[in-house]
Amino acid sequence: MADEKTESENPYAQWHVVVKGDTLSKIAKKYYGDASLYPKIFEANRPLIKDPNLIQIGWKLRIP
Amino acid sequence: MNRMRTILALAAAGALVACASQKEPAQAALNAAEQAVAGVKAEAERYAPDQFKALAGALAGAKDLFTKGEYEKALAAAGDVTSKVKDVINAVNAKKTELTKAWEQVGGAVPKMMEVLKSRLDVLSQAKKLPAGLDAAKLGSAKGAYEAAAGVFAQAGEALKAGNLQEAVAKGTAAKAKAAEAMTALGMQLPQ
Repeated sequence: MADEKTESENPYAQWHVVVKGDTLSKIAKKYYGDASLYPKIFEANRPLIKDPNLIQIGWKLRIP
Repeated sequence: MNRMRTILALAAAGALVACASQKEPAQAALNAAEQAVAGVKAEAERYAPDQFKALAGALAGAKDLFTKGEYEKALAAAGDVTSKVKDVINAVNAKKTELTKAWEQVGGAVPKMMEVLKSRLDVLSQAKKLPAGLDAAKLGSAKGAYEAAAGVFAQAGEALKAGNLQEAVAKGTAAKAKAAEAMTALGMQLPQ
């Protein structure tokens, strides 16, 4: 889980569960229309994500 | 015949004395009822208007009986008004409890919705392209709904500060609906 505390504090937070083939760029493209905005997702999910090139299937990422 | 007239006259006089003897207690009871009604008026008119209307009507009826010289009935009616005041106080308290709960829900939810909305709008404002299902017009309307929600929620806060729970809840609910509209326009999920 990316940030259980934030999730429990804000039930309106938006989440994405990583599936096979996902990259932060693809996720950024899906939610923002612009893959170059992937650092927004990276920053919002630290320290779960240590390397933006390494995300694991099943991770629940917060999408700012 | 004369004796009968005398008895009737004495009986009538006795009744008058008995009735008049209720004048002072009736007046005192009416004064107490009037004070009790005045004491709940402000909150009752706001939180239990129908019950207050009935209460004011009952008080007017008691006063009317007093004016007509029906002191015993006026005394009973004034006592009835005083006991009805307790029912109105209970209705006011129940409504305030209900509104407080409603405010806790709305007042807690809206800032959280605004937080995630602002975050998403900030990111989208930096996007060179928009995601599938979202165009500039939709983004514009979402921004408008966000700003409207912020404005109405600020009014809700002012109403709360002024002690107007009813207006605070109404404005807060309107702000929540606007925020939900903005989230939906942006393709964001609302909790079930």
